[in-house]
Amino acid sequence: MNINGIQIDDTFAEAFNMRGTRVIITALNLTWAYHAANAMTGFATSVIGCGVEAGIERELSADETPDGRPGVSILMFAMGSKVLMQQLETRMGQCVLTCPTVAAFAGIEPKEGLEVEPINLGKNLRYFGDGFQTSKLISKKRYWRIPVMDGEFLCEETTGMVRAIGGGNFLLLATSQAKALKAAEAAIKAMKQLPNVIMPFPGGVVRSGSKVGSKYKTMFASTNDAFCPTLKGLVATELSDDIESVMEIVIDGLTFNDVSNAMCAGILAICGLGEKSGVKRISAGNYGGKLGPHHFKLHELLTKK
Amino acid sequence: MNMTALTFTLKKNPTFKVDCSQLTPDKLAGMSLDKILEITLINNLKVIDLFKVSGNNFDNILFKKSTSQLDFIGHKMARGNITIDGDCGDFLGAKMYNGSVICHGNAGDRVGDKMRRGLILIDGSAGDYCGSQMIAGTIGVFEKVGKYAGFGMKRGTILLTKLPKLHATIQDCGTHTLPFLTLLFASFKPLSTLFNNIQSQRMQRFGGDLACGGNGEILLLLT
Repeated sequence: MNINGIQIDDTFAEAFNMRGTRVIITALNLTWAYHAANAMTGFATSVIGCGVEAGIERELSADETPDGRPGVSILMFAMGSKVLMQQLETRMGQCVLTCPTVAAFAGIEPKEGLEVEPINLGKNLRYFGDGFQTSKLISKKRYWRIPVMDGEFLCEETTGMVRAIGGGNFLLLATSQAKALKAAEAAIKAMKQLPNVIMPFPGGVVRSGSKVGSKYKTMFASTNDAFCPTLKGLVATELSDDIESVMEIVIDGLTFNDVSNAMCAGILAICGLGEKSGVKRISAGNYGGKLGPHHFKLHELLTKK
Repeated sequence: MNMTALTFTLKKNPTFKVDCSQLTPDKLAGMSLDKILEITLINNLKVIDLFKVSGNNFDNILFKKSTSQLDFIGHKMARGNITIDGDCGDFLGAKMYNGSVICHGNAGDRVGDKMRRGLILIDGSAGDYCGSQMIAGTIGVFEKVGKYAGFGMKRGTILLTKLPKLHATIQDCGTHTLPFLTLLFASFKPLSTLFNNIQSQRMQRFGGDLACGGNGEILLLLT
């Protein structure tokens, strides 16, 4: 397949089952909502080392939030519910409770036809109030009011956890590092317009794609040498002579469709830049289809679009 | 089917107090109108002797031409909504478990006595001991309240617009802007109440009753 002079490999991205949740953070202004959200989603690029993968889904205007203040929505994914709950609680305690003027609300509500499990948001944080915390049941939702030095921290008792998908991805192969980065930025810009997904790596882009295993016994993953441009000639490379830089975009989303929509949006944004962008090929990362149950076949996705 | 609130229209103002505790959505659920008319309220007086009854939505009860002789409206109610067009007597919403009670007139003494959950909003004034022994929930009084508001309250919120004389175990915690009030006021929007006219989240907070743990609050709304 070739779109606008850019070759699309006949391959697939391999993704995994995850658990996901959404939290809505509001503050007196957007700057402080971002301070809390950036702290909460910091060091959350990969479950391998961070426990969770998290990111800011989008900005919310004052009329979209429960308390009528500007905010952002955060998505957080983990391989299991226990880790997700643990990480959510820790991050809420250290990054949200601590941030001036911020309040936190559930971002996923129980809905017919959707398996939603309530998980703690402010339920245990309330004990920070040392007995002065109070709860209010408003429109069937329980909120906790915890007295803090800047006033009151308002936090919904629980949010919803759902089954989700993590590890959707695609690779872009370009003639230079600068051109790869520019194309990746265009893809991220387009993908950020879509709901229910995050690209958890710095700026949404990852340069250190990995393969399973290593020559070192203690390492269970190591650099994806087949896609490293400086190893052309030394290993069984996947790269042609003109490729000097490869970047990957990893996507976590609430459903298969959310991830595939985001992948399509990103790939098409790059293809929209055309041949002159320096991007020669789009590929995807997989483990031979044996590890992850979800396969995003590039040709299939793009043909449907 | 067109759903209209189950309406109790008082035929004439009784000269004695009437216990209306049986006329709540949960207690009337599943009853026929005929059966409701036969409920004995006080002495030998039945619903049919005091009220005209109409409507079919038992989750929504309306008292029309209500007066201060009607006590215990919403007593122990656990769900639904009661609206009172007019005044009501003592113990409005006493021992409530949930649901909402909206009074468009004045209420008597001991509004929300021992209430555990739910919402009582009074557009007029309330008598003495408003929110007495309250366990939790929310009471709002748009006009004046009598003496000893919040007496013995453990938790819960009493919203007031005018400061009454408070007893010694209710303490002034200063003036604040509380973010949860946005959510609370937003939840009032579907209800017809004067509290929907309040825009400000600015209020003076009084904590108490300190003789009973002190986790309750009286919020004096500053407009």
